[in-house]
Amino acid sequence: MATFLEQLINGLTIGSFYALVALGYSMVYGVMKLINFAHGDLFALGSYLGYTLLVASSSWVTVHFGLWGGMAIAMLFAFIGIGLAGVLMERIAYRPVYPAGRLSLVVSALGMSIFLQNGIMALWGSRPQAYPAAVVPSTRFSLLGLPVTSLQVVILLLSFTLMLVIWFIVEKTTFGAAIRATALDRSTATLMGIDVRVVIFFIFALGPALGGIAGVMNGMYYRAISFNMGWTYGLKAFTATILGGIGNIPGAMIGGLLLGLMESLFAGYVSGAWKDVFVFVILIAVLLWRPTGLLGEKTAEKV
Amino acid sequence: MGIAENILKRVGLGANKPSGDQPVTFWSRNRGWLLLAVTGAVFAAYPFLPFITDYWIDVAFFVGIYALLGLSLNIVLGEVGLFDLGHTAFYAIGAYVTAILNTTMHLPIIVLLPLSALIAAGFAYLVTSPVIHLKGDYLCIVTIGIGEIVRLTMINNPFNLTGGPNGINGIGGPNLFGLAINSSTQFYFYTWVIIGVIVFGLIRLQHSRIGRAWNYIREDATAAEASGVDVRSYKLLAFVLGAALAGMAGNIYASKQMSVSPQSFTFIESSLLFCIVLLGGLGSIPGSILGAAVVVVFPEVFRQFASYRLLFFGLALMLMMIFRPGGIWPRKREGTGLDGLGIRGLPKNDEDLIPLGKPDPAILRPAATAVVKGVRLPPVTVVMDEGMLLQTHGATLKFGGLTAVNNFDLNVRTGKITSLIGPNGAGKTTLFNMITGIYKPTSGHIDFLGRDITGLKPHTIISYGIARTFQNIRLFPSLTCIENIMSGPHCHARSGTWDAVMHTVAEVREERDIVATAAYRLDQVGLWKYRNELAKNLPYGKQRYLEIARALATAPHLLILDEPSSGLNDKESEDLMVLLQALVKEGFTLLLIEHDMQVVMGISDWVAVMDMGQKIAEGLPKDVYNNQRVIEAYLGKEDD
Repeated sequence: MATFLEQLINGLTIGSFYALVALGYSMVYGVMKLINFAHGDLFALGSYLGYTLLVASSSWVTVHFGLWGGMAIAMLFAFIGIGLAGVLMERIAYRPVYPAGRLSLVVSALGMSIFLQNGIMALWGSRPQAYPAAVVPSTRFSLLGLPVTSLQVVILLLSFTLMLVIWFIVEKTTFGAAIRATALDRSTATLMGIDVRVVIFFIFALGPALGGIAGVMNGMYYRAISFNMGWTYGLKAFTATILGGIGNIPGAMIGGLLLGLMESLFAGYVSGAWKDVFVFVILIAVLLWRPTGLLGEKTAEKV
Repeated sequence: MGIAENILKRVGLGANKPSGDQPVTFWSRNRGWLLLAVTGAVFAAYPFLPFITDYWIDVAFFVGIYALLGLSLNIVLGEVGLFDLGHTAFYAIGAYVTAILNTTMHLPIIVLLPLSALIAAGFAYLVTSPVIHLKGDYLCIVTIGIGEIVRLTMINNPFNLTGGPNGINGIGGPNLFGLAINSSTQFYFYTWVIIGVIVFGLIRLQHSRIGRAWNYIREDATAAEASGVDVRSYKLLAFVLGAALAGMAGNIYASKQMSVSPQSFTFIESSLLFCIVLLGGLGSIPGSILGAAVVVVFPEVFRQFASYRLLFFGLALMLMMIFRPGGIWPRKREGTGLDGLGIRGLPKNDEDLIPLGKPDPAILRPAATAVVKGVRLPPVTVVMDEGMLLQTHGATLKFGGLTAVNNFDLNVRTGKITSLIGPNGAGKTTLFNMITGIYKPTSGHIDFLGRDITGLKPHTIISYGIARTFQNIRLFPSLTCIENIMSGPHCHARSGTWDAVMHTVAEVREERDIVATAAYRLDQVGLWKYRNELAKNLPYGKQRYLEIARALATAPHLLILDEPSSGLNDKESEDLMVLLQALVKEGFTLLLIEHDMQVVMGISDWVAVMDMGQKIAEGLPKDVYNNQRVIEAYLGKEDD
């Protein structure tokens, strides 16, 4: 039972990383119809930005603002940095290629992904780096009988808050309606007076920025970060997006949490080595059984 | 025409057919052969050039490996347009099959070459057949998943077969009838000769009904299915052939390296292959080879920058897509004329082709016994009402709670024009989609020529003799007009992959029949002079005619036209009516959805009216015109 609870908490924590990255995927996909292959690498970059802020300044931030303050500042730093990176990425790699069609966009996204991954390697080296223990809050306590660390609680609370905020923006505000309208039909949205450029700016800023926060959380949780971790996370987050229903905001959250849970339970009870295989088998099974994902709507093709 | 000339024509280098004022010189006649000879000579001389070290010969070998992989992915991604970002899986299977069978059972590498191809192809068939119906990005993500599953499986070393993360060492080299392939130069020639043979086969395939069917699917899968292409089978064929080539590449790679390990088969490899095809140009054979050269040589040239080289590479990919999204060497279709189709034995003068395609009157005899050449229809099992070609009985289609078509009985008389009219959203197109097999009826059945065709696939129904056009024109935009129409006879042709590669007598004859039929129909709708134009460049009205010609080229008994006059001006509508009446004279039966009452009343023999999915009237045009319920359906009920 203890193992189960541990795996449950662990799964939820990983799941919330996936969910945050998946949100960015889903938002970008919804509006641009583009699998942003570089999204996972932005997540990794966020992890490195947070690391740099906390470590390279000789823990100055942590010393002055405390453990939690340091964490908050690192996250804010990654949030802003990756948000900017996302916007830049759209300007450089996607906007000029957009008229050339979907396939060219995919190649450009792959190029961006290779560029970012190797850029991180060039700047921070190919060896994995570690968030030092001194900057990571790690008080252990028992919450309703569950063995948790304070970090886990904060990660979960913050992730859920962020998800709720995004959900509120997209589903309940006028601007959210503009995003959804753009996702459905860009040219009609333009005709209705929606400034599509603003929508694109917003999703390419916010989507990656969420990934940046997740990157810092991930660094604190696992401590070790490496230049190529973005790919695995990106792929799993994308799986989560598909699982929940691509372009669907609550779907991305649920998909991420579910994926984290399944992965962690499979690793705990069946096999750690095969857990990623399991993830992809789940992905294929979902696509066969329900191609539009758990929360996606069925659409008939107009002939 | 020689294969060499064909190759060059395809890629836009060959001589165009000499016109009257251009003298035929030795150069223009033999340009193809000369260029092929030069290319061959350069390849043969390369390893012996004074400044070429073993290192650069190895680089050329790896260009070969990636060229082979690029060509294999080009079939799936370039020809059929399926996003495959897990192609490395098939490469890995080929390499591991070679490694395992060579180190454990000591099978010779040369025997393992076809065996690796076969096993990779079999694997591709097994894993892709359940997911092949997925579209675009969904298929993409599944192929990524397959790629990862294969790689992780190899790391996890099931049954101690794959050697885990370290892989397998001690693989032998190929041995050709006593000649062991060891040195860099030997591997270079070994690989490039294999590629040469494969390129020969691929060019033949590209210019056969198989290559064209792949392109039809890439351009518009629904239109391809509705034109008689078995979309599912052709997609699978592409995956199987692509995987076979990738498996061969895996075999060559394993024997050269003498070891395999999972690090060689990561996602980055798959994305490189994807980039090779896009860099070279979608569906372009020389493009794939050039793309491979770029992807392999680029990092070598930047080797001095060590860890920055992939950084530059990523940047280069983005720049390439910004400045040359079509690729380095895109396949050109227009401008090579009918010769570009690569069909043997066409008349010297293009115009002479048209009469060859004139159908045998017996083929179009509008009777239940009429049989289109080469089509074996199932036996007649249904008794139909006298004089009827097509009947729907209680055809019903429900989308969730919405009944789009409700218990509809449609009767289409042989040799007549039947019109189906009704307000927008009445369910007319939905009924057409049921008849042509795009939707399966919820209940009811559809009989055609004495056979129950309910629920059959569109490509089967079209081979029985029902062709259609679409409400929103669906052509194959980036193919030439003649290629568009050549999709029509596709469903009656029988040549397969082997026939296409070997140019068998039957295949050549069949291809000639196909192009002749297409030429005849193109001429019939007055578009002959546009034969080498891309369909997307035609004006709207002409695109409608092109679509009608494509449907006619399937030699149907029944031609279904969905709003043929929409978007046409008055003059064009009148021309259309003349054409439709001529078609009836020729022996076709017509079924129209039409909004233009001028057209409906002018040419229809029988009119059925649909509203809210139900039949509200049916009869002669003039009776229907004055029918109170019909007027109400269109104009609304007058309040008392």
